[in-house]
Amino acid sequence: MVLVKSQHSSVIYITLLFAILLMLVPLPDTLRYARPEWVAITLIYWAMALPQRVSIGVAWFTGLMMDVVTGGVLGIHAFAYALVIYLVGRLHLQIRQYPLWQQAFTILSLVSLVHFIVMLSSPITFSWNHWLTVLTSTLVWPFVYAVLRKIRRSFQVS
Amino acid sequence: MLLAVVASLLLYFLDTRLDYFKPVRMTLSTVVYPVQKLASMPDDFTTWFTDFFQGHRQLREKIMKLEAQNLTNSVRMQKMQALESENMRLRELLGSSFRLQERVQVAELLSVDLDPFYQHVIIDKGETFGVYEGQPVLDSLGVMGQVAEVSQFSSRVVLLTDPSHSIPVQIVRNGLRAVVTGRGLGENLQMEFLPHNADVRVGDLLVTSGLGGRFPVGYPVGKVISVNFPQGKSFAEITVIPAARLATSREVMLVLPGEKIDFGITFPLQIEESDLPALEEQPAADEPITPSEENN
Repeated sequence: MVLVKSQHSSVIYITLLFAILLMLVPLPDTLRYARPEWVAITLIYWAMALPQRVSIGVAWFTGLMMDVVTGGVLGIHAFAYALVIYLVGRLHLQIRQYPLWQQAFTILSLVSLVHFIVMLSSPITFSWNHWLTVLTSTLVWPFVYAVLRKIRRSFQVS
Repeated sequence: MLLAVVASLLLYFLDTRLDYFKPVRMTLSTVVYPVQKLASMPDDFTTWFTDFFQGHRQLREKIMKLEAQNLTNSVRMQKMQALESENMRLRELLGSSFRLQERVQVAELLSVDLDPFYQHVIIDKGETFGVYEGQPVLDSLGVMGQVAEVSQFSSRVVLLTDPSHSIPVQIVRNGLRAVVTGRGLGENLQMEFLPHNADVRVGDLLVTSGLGGRFPVGYPVGKVISVNFPQGKSFAEITVIPAARLATSREVMLVLPGEKIDFGITFPLQIEESDLPALEEQPAADEPITPSEENN
């Protein structure tokens, strides 16, 4: 089957931009550690659904933007996202076949990896509180998955 | 993948170890400023909305309250002016140049959350307004932090609570000097490297000591809320609650430069003037304190 190549890559970038905005929107202090890694899971979705469109390069640049926006050390988010998207690129055929709850566990481990890399460079001491984001990311995954699939289908991004 | 890894490591190394990336960072920060502005929009809008639809009575009450406050403040100011001129005269006698009042510039916070591991905020004044790196940032109640990074239209401020931020302070009661360090999100500050016999009490007010030349002298930093002397540790555990409303202030004040030279002159004089009894008891606290600046 020959697919008509539709140029809707702007949709991907808009969702990524929206994810970055969600990372910045103010939350009360008690909830700040529980903010899901919106950018990471959006990237993972696109890399899983369209591995030929969202490559390591896109992930790396998104990560760089995150580093600049959040004011961390340059290259940390870039490295973490690139690594995770590399893994997703290798495994995307398997992950697509998983039922949703199993996918969520894959997300759990991938987001943990991202978080671990980001934590390594941060000056803060260890606390279990800081890992809440991994949990919330896993919990929001089914919704993100549904919403992004809807977006992908209705804009026919391929 | 290899390329991405190499590029990231290179960036990381260059950014942390060397200062090559300052211009790049500055440009990138300027580029992402609209994104940050966009993210702060919902919050800005709710503020505007509540302001706009405030009732007549609420506004009246607010004005009454502000007027009362203004009155007490101006009464205090009168006294302050007398004290100030007296202080100046005395200092003239001592031969030291010292300016009591610094000029300030008002900036507003952008309501965006940054990385929760760093205690940073973005303000809406940048290089075009003459903001510079290391500029002290205050709010109406005390010191908030200092500017860490400047871009064209915005700058990033490190708060006192950032784990990599330290500020040299002085206890008002006895002039004991120390360093106060941040401990991260939602935590109080910690007063460091004071021995067990240090004369610190709960309720002591801390002000900036002006050592290190970054912060002007005499602005409130915080209040001691607990003092512990744990057995087997060489230093006391002293917790300090910040004076500034770090979480709620929207308007901040940037201290304008012009005082730097003055600090250079007053610095040795301050040590000379150490007629403070606590300092003689505490040779350990008398070590020259270099404030560890933020290092990213």
